[in-house]
Amino acid sequence: MKTIKSILLALVATLSFTSCTYNKLVEQEEVVAQKWADVQTQYQRRADLIPNLVNTVKGYAAHESETLQAVVEARTKATQITIDPANATPEQIAAFQAAQGEVSQALGRLLAITEAYPDLKANEQFSELQAQLEGTENRIAESRRIYNDAVQTYNVSVRKFPNNIWALIFGFEKKTPFAAEAGAEKAPEVQF
Amino acid sequence: MRKKIVLLLLLGVAHICAFTTLLAATYTPDNLPIPYLQDKTQYVSNPDGILSQTAVDSLNLWLGQMETEHGVQTVLAVVERIKGGETYDFCMALARKYGIGSKEQNSGLVILLSTGDRAYTILTGRGMEGTLPDAICKRIENRQMLPSLREGDWDQAMLNTVRAVKAYIDGDDSLVGSSDFDDDDDIGALIGFCVAMFLGIALIFFAIWLDQRKKAYCPSCHQHKMKKISSYTTTNKRLGIRTHHDTYRCTHCFFTKELHWDEDLNSHNGAAAAGGALGGSFFGAGGRSFGGGFGGSFGGGSFGGGGASGHF
Repeated sequence: MKTIKSILLALVATLSFTSCTYNKLVEQEEVVAQKWADVQTQYQRRADLIPNLVNTVKGYAAHESETLQAVVEARTKATQITIDPANATPEQIAAFQAAQGEVSQALGRLLAITEAYPDLKANEQFSELQAQLEGTENRIAESRRIYNDAVQTYNVSVRKFPNNIWALIFGFEKKTPFAAEAGAEKAPEVQF
Repeated sequence: MRKKIVLLLLLGVAHICAFTTLLAATYTPDNLPIPYLQDKTQYVSNPDGILSQTAVDSLNLWLGQMETEHGVQTVLAVVERIKGGETYDFCMALARKYGIGSKEQNSGLVILLSTGDRAYTILTGRGMEGTLPDAICKRIENRQMLPSLREGDWDQAMLNTVRAVKAYIDGDDSLVGSSDFDDDDDIGALIGFCVAMFLGIALIFFAIWLDQRKKAYCPSCHQHKMKKISSYTTTNKRLGIRTHHDTYRCTHCFFTKELHWDEDLNSHNGAAAAGGALGGSFFGAGGRSFGGGFGGSFGGGSFGGGGASGHF
């Protein structure tokens, strides 16, 4: 009788402990998903700005069509990649990052050629668009930082003992943060 | 003689060094003075004295109205130089460090001008991005700030900027001011302070009364009717102790008792010191409250990176 009681007690204790761990992991996974959504919102915001920017530049520098075309193409490619954070593989994240990095590079080149057009630079609408773009790049950097923090918190939970056992049983996997700013991912230098 | 001259020269050099390092103070988000924390009517950080006092007063007034009427908490800093020279990074680190703006509205605002780096930033909290979108921040900078900056008129640049920012904020009714409950808060704080003050004084009097009562207690007839009839002191200079010998006699049963207590000559009388400190703090606080306000605190607002920066 006594042994049965103690076994039951141990079982209940283990179960409650497990549910606690499980709930914590679920919560942290939700936070990661939410932060990922924020990152995507900011990238989307940048994608939304691009047509306007391209049109404004076109008005002053129509013969730079090659550079303008590159921006549009990179944007199209990047907007096609959407990722569900719940089951994103590291490869998918890398692909997303690479596609957005290409947009950044194309934008950087576009902004570099605008330096040669004083009329364009003096245009208030262009100046404000540029500010919006810069603000969006800042937001992207900030949301990525916050996403990476959330991923780190989650990954630490998943790997810690004894959570790692439950994570294995319930299928919580490590998540991939954004890689550190590589050359391709550098935000375009916006000069005034 | 020569030694003296060398010494004087060295002193002079040391002075010049100290002076130039003082002049070329490079600020980081960690060492930038925030006067708001000491006095919540002071929104402007002007550690290098670049802005005139009149400009600072006007700015503080407007920024104060922005906080009471719309709950927008601002830090405006004008410095000679910042570390790294990147005003956006500086503002972001500052905003993150203090959590400027209310937590509910995320209505924080950071305006920074670094005259030596020739750079400026208006940084908006997450809740301000609708009222002051990046493009509007840029427009304010282009139209209000830049022309004066190019002329080196820092006062006018900041006055124009804050006036324009305030106009946009005044036009947004969705930003809720703290004026209603903030006043109550102030009164509440004042009442709390007075009550604490009163209790503190009452406690001191109570302690004195208790002490007197203990001394007046007669162990023979158990009444509190003993009176001091004589006293003398002996001093031990080596130990730094003065011993008081007091003789009490009961007015009821004429029982006499002697009380001996030591006074430490090396320290001041405790009660008097405490009383003095209390009085001092009372007058100190009172004086400050007439001056305009107690220290402010930041609400914990978050920033997502909105705003606009530029160089001139």
